[in-house]
Amino acid sequence: MKPALRLPATVLAVLLPLAGAVYGFVNEAISMALEAAAPYVEQGFEVREDNWSGEVEPGKPLLIRHQLFRGNEYWFWAGTSWPGATIQIDIFDSEGNSVGLESFAKDSIAGVRAQPQRTATYYIRVIAHYEKKGEGLSAAERGANDPAEGVGEFSGVLDWGVAYGYR
Amino acid sequence: MTETLQPLPVALLRPLAALALVGGVPSFFAQDGPPGAAAPERIDLTNFPGELVDKVVVPIPAEIFAVLDKLDETDWNSGIALPPEHERGGPLPILALSFGGLVAEGFIAVQAKNAEEIETIGRRVLSLSEPLGLATEVRAHSLAIIEAARQRDWGKVRDELDLTLQTVRTTMERKLRDDQLAGLVSLGGWLRGTNVVTSFIGESYSEDKAELLHQPALVAHFRELIASVSGPAADSPAIRALSTGLARLEAIVAEPGGLAEEDVNQLRDISHSLLEEFYFEKTPAAPAN
Repeated sequence: MKPALRLPATVLAVLLPLAGAVYGFVNEAISMALEAAAPYVEQGFEVREDNWSGEVEPGKPLLIRHQLFRGNEYWFWAGTSWPGATIQIDIFDSEGNSVGLESFAKDSIAGVRAQPQRTATYYIRVIAHYEKKGEGLSAAERGANDPAEGVGEFSGVLDWGVAYGYR
Repeated sequence: MTETLQPLPVALLRPLAALALVGGVPSFFAQDGPPGAAAPERIDLTNFPGELVDKVVVPIPAEIFAVLDKLDETDWNSGIALPPEHERGGPLPILALSFGGLVAEGFIAVQAKNAEEIETIGRRVLSLSEPLGLATEVRAHSLAIIEAARQRDWGKVRDELDLTLQTVRTTMERKLRDDQLAGLVSLGGWLRGTNVVTSFIGESYSEDKAELLHQPALVAHFRELIASVSGPAADSPAIRALSTGLARLEAIVAEPGGLAEEDVNQLRDISHSLLEEFYFEKTPAAPAN
């Protein structure tokens, strides 16, 4: 493999925000979720343009209702953009039984895969976590330039976004 | 609960994903379970200790079409039924419903891999966006749909159709501050998709295929949407017909147990009659004897 081709993650990290900037305002949590989705597109997953996002207190579970079709396979991806925050995502049927077949969670992104056994409404649970309530960003998180006073202070809520794909 | 900021377009994922995969799927994708708590085997949905997200994401017709293709060979070309182009103008709710129906027609044409029809639909999408006041936002999508059809890039056409819906809905919500209008775009598309699916299932019935139509929560969502329409439009014949028709659809899909062939045919006929309110030409009434 050519050395230049060994840096896809770097290229992706540069291109994703650029693409968002060209397109307009960027919902960073959704961009994180879509970044998690990127490898699955090549596996044949069609990623939907419509998605869910908002703000939530750390640790407070969110529940998304969504119609799934038996015969399709789904991935749901979640993201949060707040430095140091983590996110988890699970999926349940209408009885509350977990139906996730595979999952991952790494810092600010997570995903869960499901292959519904029946066509019905399913429930996607999302929980964003952040331990450092009331504190500002660490020096490492702020980077080289200190933000203005108040900027970077944790406001008590985390941004979150969920996207999904099917095949 | 929902964000108003515009997310990154998914259409950009396709080329970016190719770049990402050059180095393989990152190692963290192989990890099982979050670093903290593992997913519980069961949660109590009746006493959920959090917040229910109120946004409903309506599946695009392509999601259902994908399953139908796995179950049977479907002659999608026979499902394309692009009505004659109407005069521009008319009430915004009707235009919004028509727009959704037209994009759904595009999804049918993609499934049929019918580039000529997709190009026509791509042009119609732009044409219909003008009386909606959204031509500026839709123009690029229209051109992208046409270009992708010429290149036979069906995945790209699907992405652009989905992106067109998303752009139109978010612009209606933000620019026109009209969530109802955005919802009507989804309803128009859902009805056209449901109509073509019921037609195919009716032609070659099986319980597996009929299960695809089990969508009571979505029908309930659309009934709430129509009930929330206010102003002069609320009393229009089209909105009243949609209100009655959706109630009839709900009565069928909410029945416990699977849908029988007769139920599927009823869904087909009801959805067709509702599409005649804003999309198809009205079927002439049979002459009285």
